[in-house]
Amino acid sequence: MNKLPMLLDCDTGVDDAVAILFTKFLNNLELVAVTTVAGNVEVEHTTRNTLQVLELAGMEHVPVYMGASKPLMCEPYNAHHVHGKNGLNDIELPKPKREPEAMKAWDAIYEYAKRYKGELTVVAVGPLTNLALAITKYKELPGLLKRIVIMGGAAIGGNVTPAAEFNVYADPEAADMVFTCGAPVHMCGLDVTMRAYFTAEELDEIASLGSRQAVFARDVMQGILQFYRAYKLGGVAFHDPVTVLYADDDSYFQTDFAGVRVETKGKLTRGKTVTDLYSDKQMEHNAYVVTNLDRDIFKKRVFEIMAKYGA
Amino acid sequence: MIKRIPVILDGDPGHDDAIAWVLAAASPMLDIKAVTSVCGNQTIQKTTYNAGRIMTLVGLHVPLAMGRVKPLVADAIIAPTVHGNSGLDGPALPEPADKPVDIEAATLMAQILEASEEPVVLIPTGPLTNIASLLLLYPHLKSKIRHIYLMGGGIDFGNWTPAAEFNILVDPEAADIVFRSGVPITMAGLDVTEQALVFPEDFERIRALNNPVATVVAEWLDFFYGFHRSIGYPGAPVHDAVSVAALIKPEIMTMVDMYVAVELTGDYCRGTTVGDKLGVLKQPANARVIMGIDREGFVDLLAEAAAHYGKEA
Repeated sequence: MNKLPMLLDCDTGVDDAVAILFTKFLNNLELVAVTTVAGNVEVEHTTRNTLQVLELAGMEHVPVYMGASKPLMCEPYNAHHVHGKNGLNDIELPKPKREPEAMKAWDAIYEYAKRYKGELTVVAVGPLTNLALAITKYKELPGLLKRIVIMGGAAIGGNVTPAAEFNVYADPEAADMVFTCGAPVHMCGLDVTMRAYFTAEELDEIASLGSRQAVFARDVMQGILQFYRAYKLGGVAFHDPVTVLYADDDSYFQTDFAGVRVETKGKLTRGKTVTDLYSDKQMEHNAYVVTNLDRDIFKKRVFEIMAKYGA
Repeated sequence: MIKRIPVILDGDPGHDDAIAWVLAAASPMLDIKAVTSVCGNQTIQKTTYNAGRIMTLVGLHVPLAMGRVKPLVADAIIAPTVHGNSGLDGPALPEPADKPVDIEAATLMAQILEASEEPVVLIPTGPLTNIASLLLLYPHLKSKIRHIYLMGGGIDFGNWTPAAEFNILVDPEAADIVFRSGVPITMAGLDVTEQALVFPEDFERIRALNNPVATVVAEWLDFFYGFHRSIGYPGAPVHDAVSVAALIKPEIMTMVDMYVAVELTGDYCRGTTVGDKLGVLKQPANARVIMGIDREGFVDLLAEAAAHYGKEA
């Protein structure tokens, strides 16, 4: 069976790390390249972490391209307090055997889009700086992509502020450029990712699969459980991993086509993905907003994938 | 005989304001001290005239004062698509029996607060222009305000824009003053009022009561539903009546204490009530936000209020 190409743009990050592990065993997509961006932690860390996790997954053949070290216009905003000093909950993986490629992330996105004309899915699970730069540099890029699937935003609520989700808050201008670029954008925001959670017990079940990768997935996610207890969620949200699974197979998700724009000027609402799902007034529809999923199927997929790493 | 709660009704009628006031005037729990009008659903002249007509219909003979001609800072926005050209289109209504008093709404409120032995509840169901004016002009009377039961805002979504609800959008600065005032607030926003749906079969139940007020309420609902049906609603969301219902029958609602702030700037979010559901800002709660309602209990309450006018006749 021929799988379609996927490029992952990430700020690895504990849940990005698990998302990378998932990319090895997808049903419909094959990871052809990874680009890195500053977000959860600095881009040097996210790039090293990406190389390390790809090695852990046995995917040393996938090239890594380093991207933006800071947002388009605003000051960098990181999440060391969530992801630890090194970005992987301070779990030390072996030093990577290779370096990132020389090409910049935004050039790489364009090169792969051209190579797989009309077939490439870009899954972006960090701030959208690299994609915004790629769109700026290559105006034909949106027309070359099959779709852009992002982890970011929320139709309702936020997590960094009451109104904004981290990835969009970290670079609101870039996010608005992506939402309005003309390519089909799918938004896996907090509306769905907060429903894609694993309890402490379920994380242990993953680890009990026995492989190094499964134990790592549990250990790296466990560190952020405390933040979700404060949110009164039953477990830890698999923000980035569920986004990869949605890109691979959206059959067990609910999606609404709606208008989404990013507030860049509000004092309290900067970084809010203003989503026209419920109001009487219609904005121009530009995004597929993922609102819900079948959590049982999601869990089953996670165990299926992680079991493929062996025992 | 229970001690009645002194209240001031402040609104921009408007069909749902009108039904809110029918509910308030029928309640043996409430002692309505005054009514004030605000510009919102229609111009201040029209909402004041409508207020007089509603008061005459329900036999409410207390002072009525007209509010400011426009919001504190912003330009007025009106909603003729929802409430018609008069602001209260539909059934014929009696002409106002009494003239508005010759003082500003905020000044009338201040006089009532000063004269009242116990703190007074304010029930604003329009933009918060008058309430903010009261707080700005008579800050020493804040302690005489027992509680504000307001219809406005939405934590999870808006209506007039995707992010903002009409009453707050019309006068965000006034809303900001009210939410920062420290006065206890119960917020009936879109989160609950969009659940407070009155269905066409409920209109018939009220119409069948066959008294002059019930008949008018049924016809207001007919008119109000016309707009909402056109945008896909299965019933009429009687937003403003939820604020009165929250005071007289809180047991049919679920409420959450929350920190709420009003966005004053932004390309898309001016007028948004930003509610910190997860507590990420670590601010103390300044509002009790109503998030759910027993719809049937709400309809029963409206029907009982409408029936009350038959007993009086």
